[in-house]
Amino acid sequence: MTLENKDKSEDLPDANINHVCGSTDDYLVSIMRILTPSRLLRRSSSALPLLILALPTFYAGAANTTTPDSVAPDRVDTLQEVVVNADMPLATRQTLSGKELQALSTTSVADALKYFAGVQIKDYGGLGGLKTVNVRSMGAQHVGIYIDGVRLTNAQNGTIDLGKFSLSSMESVELYNANRLERCQAPSEFASGATVYFRTRRPTRDSLSAQFKAASFSTFSGKLNLQTSRRGWQAMLDAEALHTKGDYPFRYHSEYEDTVGRRTNNDIRYYRVEGALFKNGFSSHIYYYYSERGCPGGIVRRLSDKYTNVGREWDSDFFVQTSWRQTLGMHSILANLKYTNEYLRYCTDYPENQNTAKVDNHYHQNDIYSSLSYACAPTDWLSVNAGYDFRASWLSADLKYFSAVRRHDQKAVIAADLRRWGFRLAGSMLYQYYKDFTQMHTGAAKPLKRFTPSVTLGYEGRGFRVHAWYKKIFRAPTLNDLYYTQAGNRNLKPEYTTQWDIGGEYTFAQGQWNASAQLDLYLNKIKNRIVCLPIKGTYTWSMMNYGYTFCRGLNANLNGRVNLADWNLALITSFTLQRDLDRTDPESDLYNRPICYSPTFSCGITAIAAWRTLSLSVSNLYVGKRMWSYADPEDMLKPYSNVDVKVDYSLQFKKKYTAGVTLEVLDLFDVQYEHVPRYPMPGRTLRLSLTFSI
Amino acid sequence: MKKFTCLRVILAMSAMASVLSGRAVEEKLIILDEGMWQADNGRVSYIEDGSVVSNSWFRDVNGYKLGDTPNDIIQINDNLIAISVNWSNIIQFITPEGKAVAATENVPNNRRLASDGRYVYVSSYGHECETVNGTVKFTKGYVAKIDINDFRVVATCEVGYEPEGIALYDGHLFIANTGGYAFQEDHEYERTVDIIDAATMRKVNSIDTGVINLYGTMSQSGQYLCINSPGDYYDIDAAGIIFDCRKALDGDPQPFVVMPYACTYNCTTTDGSFLAIGSRYSYYTGEYTFNYLTIDPGLCIESGGAEGIENRLPGTMVNDIMSMTSPYGIYQNPYTGMFYATDAGSFAGAGVLHQWDPQGNYIGKNGLYINPGHFLALKPDSWNSGVGTIVATPASPDDDNAIYDLLGRRVATPKKGGIYISNGKKFICR
Repeated sequence: MTLENKDKSEDLPDANINHVCGSTDDYLVSIMRILTPSRLLRRSSSALPLLILALPTFYAGAANTTTPDSVAPDRVDTLQEVVVNADMPLATRQTLSGKELQALSTTSVADALKYFAGVQIKDYGGLGGLKTVNVRSMGAQHVGIYIDGVRLTNAQNGTIDLGKFSLSSMESVELYNANRLERCQAPSEFASGATVYFRTRRPTRDSLSAQFKAASFSTFSGKLNLQTSRRGWQAMLDAEALHTKGDYPFRYHSEYEDTVGRRTNNDIRYYRVEGALFKNGFSSHIYYYYSERGCPGGIVRRLSDKYTNVGREWDSDFFVQTSWRQTLGMHSILANLKYTNEYLRYCTDYPENQNTAKVDNHYHQNDIYSSLSYACAPTDWLSVNAGYDFRASWLSADLKYFSAVRRHDQKAVIAADLRRWGFRLAGSMLYQYYKDFTQMHTGAAKPLKRFTPSVTLGYEGRGFRVHAWYKKIFRAPTLNDLYYTQAGNRNLKPEYTTQWDIGGEYTFAQGQWNASAQLDLYLNKIKNRIVCLPIKGTYTWSMMNYGYTFCRGLNANLNGRVNLADWNLALITSFTLQRDLDRTDPESDLYNRPICYSPTFSCGITAIAAWRTLSLSVSNLYVGKRMWSYADPEDMLKPYSNVDVKVDYSLQFKKKYTAGVTLEVLDLFDVQYEHVPRYPMPGRTLRLSLTFSI
Repeated sequence: MKKFTCLRVILAMSAMASVLSGRAVEEKLIILDEGMWQADNGRVSYIEDGSVVSNSWFRDVNGYKLGDTPNDIIQINDNLIAISVNWSNIIQFITPEGKAVAATENVPNNRRLASDGRYVYVSSYGHECETVNGTVKFTKGYVAKIDINDFRVVATCEVGYEPEGIALYDGHLFIANTGGYAFQEDHEYERTVDIIDAATMRKVNSIDTGVINLYGTMSQSGQYLCINSPGDYYDIDAAGIIFDCRKALDGDPQPFVVMPYACTYNCTTTDGSFLAIGSRYSYYTGEYTFNYLTIDPGLCIESGGAEGIENRLPGTMVNDIMSMTSPYGIYQNPYTGMFYATDAGSFAGAGVLHQWDPQGNYIGKNGLYINPGHFLALKPDSWNSGVGTIVATPASPDDDNAIYDLLGRRVATPKKGGIYISNGKKFICR
């Protein structure tokens, strides 16, 4: 195989690199090794061309974008063919990375995740709305979100708003159903039903990039990205500011209404600054985000705009984390440390708001997290992983009848990974212990102690890989679930998910042609769902364990790519066929009825065509009809098809400067659609970006 | 289940037959389905003679939707009905045929309604009202008086925080204050029933009941009110109040009795009693307990609560309601004597209307829409045609084999093909 230039190395999805080399700290080492002519790496008995490792999670290599890393130098390093012997990944996973990621029209990480099979995004509308991700219908709180291997957490509500994270500093986005199954992992990585990993890009050279963006609905943003790489250290600084009115038009047109309007109280203003520092197995990340936004309500019948339900929210999120991973012979060690501070203010005390209580509440969260894991591979067919996590979270708020709560969350895991004759068997047992402390007059919830297992069996050979896995896990009730004034219920049980999956993938690579196909059949059961419902016969709402869901589905990905001289063509597709059934009450009319908001079919198709530094990408995301209530067959969200188009061109001059321009049209055909009824999404949106890089 | 489906089919066929034959409709019932908050799917169900004519009646008649979270419905006079659509900030006026007549948004966050046939009185949690004299602002909640000649607010009166139940007796309005935002706002729960002179819209008295959060349905039987207090769900338990408006107007310093029972959902019966389904909940234990009451308000007041309160409902109603998932309302049709209760189920599916005959014998159920909880019975056709008054016949041990029609009227000679009830069971006369 010939690598055409140095930057190609960055295009390798690093998840695959990890499987080549076993762990993150080997990442750069592996790249250096790959770039060393004629160097062969031998780690296992399976011999596969390196490029196969980049599949099935496929990258659209030559779709040039204007970020510093993607600027193609004119120097071409021609290397000899490199063959790497490595394990195929065992986990069920999907990846978007490098330029493939940048070829998509995205404003936040949530936009990227919607291209994965089995993923549903819940979006309360527009730029400022809460965006959460739901994998295989388990619910947002069963999805663990990790940045550089360390989990993002929110002890208050357990939900991560993906709208707060930008893709501009990300190298890859990976979705793993069940576990990632690396050699050395922290216990918290085993503790969610599905895991999403964001990996920060590691700089390989010095660069400075500035970007200005203007878009529809009075949206303006500026971004600055600084990267440096010296003496084995890599550092990144990324800063962004955005302001938008978000006053997009919408229309509800049906037999019973023809409502036309503009979204109000949908503005957002945010600043984000983050930096990262790397050296070999050491990585650290610092992040700060501040926003003020309107919280628009549902579009309901009103006689005029005189009274609106105004709520506004201020967020301030900060975290600093560091991770150190080291492998010495058969021993590997991983240590993580993190501190998080989050502040939220929610205010409804405005004259035009006549419908709700006038509140002005402030919530403060502090969270420290530490983790130590050890892995040992005494033979080439066995590795064992043991780890311990400790997290302490504090939540205080000026709610009435509320006192500060402290939560201690401890996890321990032991995992083993056996591989022989192409077979691989991985199993883990996770122990979790939660204990809360509070002076609240309801008292603290009883400590929660549980063991949960997972098992994966795989076989690989001749480009094929098959796997089957089982995982049982729970989500602990959050502090809001347990203690929120006049809603919390300290007697809640954990919400359990049990997953089974069987699937396989095939990869093909010949010359300039690459293709991959992946298929997974799965079955999930969720019991003791934690929901907020009005209490029987009273007028108050409370968190309750209510609900049992049975879900069967199929996820498929088909990808292909060809490089022809200056042309690069790629096609990325994902399909989901799913049936979620309510199995809560056999006596109820709702028994075996489909779960609300869950489409039976959805798919994403992205086509990318690139010629030198000019690229065109077209994406189509189709989501089938979803019912949103059981009461009436017409309570149905209509299917929608969103077509996004992105044209990108970059020009290099004086050998070290690059200027780029990107034009995007989101929702090309101005399809009016909703994720949540009466929360309209923006229609056609134009976006123009100008980038200058050194 | 199958039995009820059959019943629905039979009743629907019966209703259809009555329409085709031009037969008078004896049971006309409107039920508000609150829908889901901010989903703009509040609806109106309309039932005739035991079968659902439509679960989107307002929309069918008018071609547009009612709005978000309808909260109360009253009949103003023979030609006009008012519906408070809380989250839409609309008070919608319709005819008994469902035709929209007018709507006003001048009373935002409207809650409950009362009327003397000339004016509509509305309680509101809001702090602002658009009146004929301009915008009026309030620190607490208020009551607005709407003239049905032009549907404008002609007067207002500030009351306690978050006023809920409203009733009219002897020219005075009685307002149950909740202070229900107390767990969010900087004030305490209310404990008062405010009394307003309806003519002048001036507060004439405020009765401290000693019980907080007077929230929920407030039924009226002549001079008596049945008021619920859910407590604060922590330290203060739920309770119920029987309030004597006459005594209050006469200056009695304590014109009420506090009962150690919740009256979460309550209604007035044709014999002047109150029926109540009560539920108590504690955030400490996460548990709730129910009580089911029949209250003779006169006896209760006279005895200071020692008498007149019975832990029962007519017939099989207690057992039937106990088997519901989420009771959401109870009602007796004043014209036919039929009893109804709704079950909101999981709050995401269609609610269910259960029906009993005047003796409390279960008849059947009908599917409605989401969160059905507010009732209004209209006059039967026979009342308008002067056929006569229908009075619920009390059960008697001697009447074991008595035969009643679906409206609860005793029938001496059942007609062939008709549906009747005897000993609590339906049958078709062949």
